[in-house]
Amino acid sequence: MTTIASEYGNENNSVPIEHRFNPYSDNGGTVLGIAGEDFAILAGDTRIVSGYNIDSRYEPKVFDVGDNIVMTANGFAADGAALIDRFKSAFKWYKFDNNNKKLTIQSAARYIQHLLYGKRFFPFYVSTLIAGLDEEGKGAVYSYDPVGSYEREQCRAGGAAASLIMPFLDNQVNFKNQFEPGSDGRVKKPLRYLSLEEVLALVRDAFTSATERHIQVGDGLEVLIVTKDGIKKVYYPLKRD
Amino acid sequence: MNHDPFYWGRPSDETYGHYNHAIANAKSQIPTSHTQQPIITGTSVLALKFKNGVAIAADNMGSYGSLLRFNNIERLIRVGTETIVGISGDISDLQYIERLLHQLQTEEEVYDSDGGHNLRAPHVHEYLSRVMYNRRLKMDPLWNAIIVAGFSDDRTPFLRYVDLLGVTYGSLALATGFGAHLAVPLLRKLVPYDADYEKVSEEQARVAIADSLRVLYYRDARSSDKYTFAVLTFENDKINVDYKQDLKVENQSWRFAENLIGYGSKQQ
Amino acid sequence: MNTIASQFTQSASSRLQSEYADAQRDFSNAPQLNLAPTIELPPISQPTEFLRAHTDDASNPDCKIKIAHGTTTLAFRFQGGIVVAVDSRATAGNWIASQTVNKVIRINPFLLGTMAGGAADCQYWETWLGTQCRLHELREKERISVAAASKILGNLVYQYKGMGLSMGTMVCGYTKKEGPAIYYVDSDGTRMKGDLFCVGSGQTFAYGVLDSEYKWDLSVEEALYLGKRSILAATHRDAYSGGSINLYHVTENGWIYHGNHNVGDIFYDIKEKEQSFNNVDA
Repeated sequence: MTTIASEYGNENNSVPIEHRFNPYSDNGGTVLGIAGEDFAILAGDTRIVSGYNIDSRYEPKVFDVGDNIVMTANGFAADGAALIDRFKSAFKWYKFDNNNKKLTIQSAARYIQHLLYGKRFFPFYVSTLIAGLDEEGKGAVYSYDPVGSYEREQCRAGGAAASLIMPFLDNQVNFKNQFEPGSDGRVKKPLRYLSLEEVLALVRDAFTSATERHIQVGDGLEVLIVTKDGIKKVYYPLKRD
Repeated sequence: MNHDPFYWGRPSDETYGHYNHAIANAKSQIPTSHTQQPIITGTSVLALKFKNGVAIAADNMGSYGSLLRFNNIERLIRVGTETIVGISGDISDLQYIERLLHQLQTEEEVYDSDGGHNLRAPHVHEYLSRVMYNRRLKMDPLWNAIIVAGFSDDRTPFLRYVDLLGVTYGSLALATGFGAHLAVPLLRKLVPYDADYEKVSEEQARVAIADSLRVLYYRDARSSDKYTFAVLTFENDKINVDYKQDLKVENQSWRFAENLIGYGSKQQ
Repeated sequence: MNTIASQFTQSASSRLQSEYADAQRDFSNAPQLNLAPTIELPPISQPTEFLRAHTDDASNPDCKIKIAHGTTTLAFRFQGGIVVAVDSRATAGNWIASQTVNKVIRINPFLLGTMAGGAADCQYWETWLGTQCRLHELREKERISVAAASKILGNLVYQYKGMGLSMGTMVCGYTKKEGPAIYYVDSDGTRMKGDLFCVGSGQTFAYGVLDSEYKWDLSVEEALYLGKRSILAATHRDAYSGGSINLYHVTENGWIYHGNHNVGDIFYDIKEKEQSFNNVDA
């Protein structure tokens, strides 16, 4: 026989779920950037999750940040949004202070390194990508780790399904481990730029496949395409299970 | 820095002490004077978009752990003439946010520092998301999950969420806390696709929210059947706010209870 | 005082306004790109423990933020100058984040810095070192010595000692008064002058090859090959090293790049030519 316990004061220390503060969470999703000869694309799924819950089925995370540059920061959604906000506000000041000078993608890339490294000891939990055209008009994708180390690449996947998509991209964009038929694996398949149609087909394959095998990916795919004529947005539905 | 090739470049225990799993798993008390956990809490807030408006509801309970401490907490806050902010989580932080919002409202509407710009839901949400994210940066969060309901500048329905981490998202159906598990599937059943909210009538939305509140009352032990319900509609170029307090969850039927077996019940 | 008035009298006192001011400071100020950057700290009692808890994937593979790591780099002095050789793999936990990292940072046409440890730490601070070296040139009207350049970096990381930076770098360069010089600088604050260093998780494997074949009198061609061969050995045995090899030669006229050599391509060539790596079937 037990008495009814009524020591509510102790409850804070005895409840099984502890609510002590962890400033990070993971909102899932995955992003992908590919550079072509005279274009670049940034794609991202539109699902937002927390734990096993799908919080939203349409929350875009790839943004036009100005001067023909697109940007995404995938991982912890609040940090991602804050990073992009900081970039956009810095971008405005750059325009005000420099007589509306065009911000090159190299400069944007370096500035984002400073934004990320500025929080080296309290990092943004995001994998960041930007895409655009370089000064020669060639497609460019830059990718970052959470504290700002960066690299220009032909292609890069980030976020939850990066480990599913990246090997596919190595093979299909950079022709890794592909050889000329009949060469007994000695002559590599020569590199070439992919057309926009080929790239979009790859992006859609990458995302439909990631949707099949990763619980945090799905609902919708939004692709931003950068060419010298500006930025075009396309949306493709993905499976919603 | 650790020079052992196996751990090369990693922090060494000699310099940094042992790795603190407690912080990574956020299970230990971090010794500061800030609020590290919610005390008196409010449970779910539910909201749904429909053709020409938004419906939002929250019950009136304030829990102290498992104690039903208050049954008169108002958790739907009116901001300006056409926005409702629904707040769950810590009640003291709720009251603080309420003060922030009233100040914001006064600044916008009394002092009118920006020449007739109207304070609408997207602006209220933007403001709150900045407040929440800045407090997270300080490791002193406002322990809440918030739903902002209202209208965009073009008078389309607006519904968006923000929580203690500063995470924000929008959807046609939103719910905080337990409601995210129980109510969202019920609300989404009405309209699977976000863009299709225009196919939902005001009446359907009212019923869906009321039904969800009832299901929550059946299964969420921290909920009550006394609630506040706000329905915002845009009709004939005018916004109408139907804000009703002290409503009761109707059509309750506890007949399902007698079929419950297990969970320590004596008669199996 | 009436209720409305009291509400706003109180709010003016601090808290509400400071909230507003904080948000404004964060988002509406012109960005500052000072040479001495400011880095935010988490506002808690033990920031370093916090950082480690969330980023040290070696101690806790489940930690959320995985920072790029893992490397083999080497540099050595010989009669014809300096050879610098590095691999190009970046790992985050068991995930190979990149096979194409540029781990030699071209501080200026006469100075190279190598990158081992935290990729961002090295990249950021060695680029910063480049700006400091340029400022030195502008002020002193002569190129900075390798000793001085490495000391700027050494002093900088020493300021951050215990905060969680991770870098092991070799500052390599050639000046009239010093000749070819290599300084090893790491995030503990160590700064050492020397003839031969291997740094990173694959350092032991590189040392094994390098020490057995190294002579001061190596020809330039031999030296470049030895550098390449040592890194190849490390990529073979250290899982955290790989990708490709970048080769540099530093002379009195500055550094010369000797190309990128994909490990997958050169391995079998070298195996056949040397009749080495007999542990591997052809």
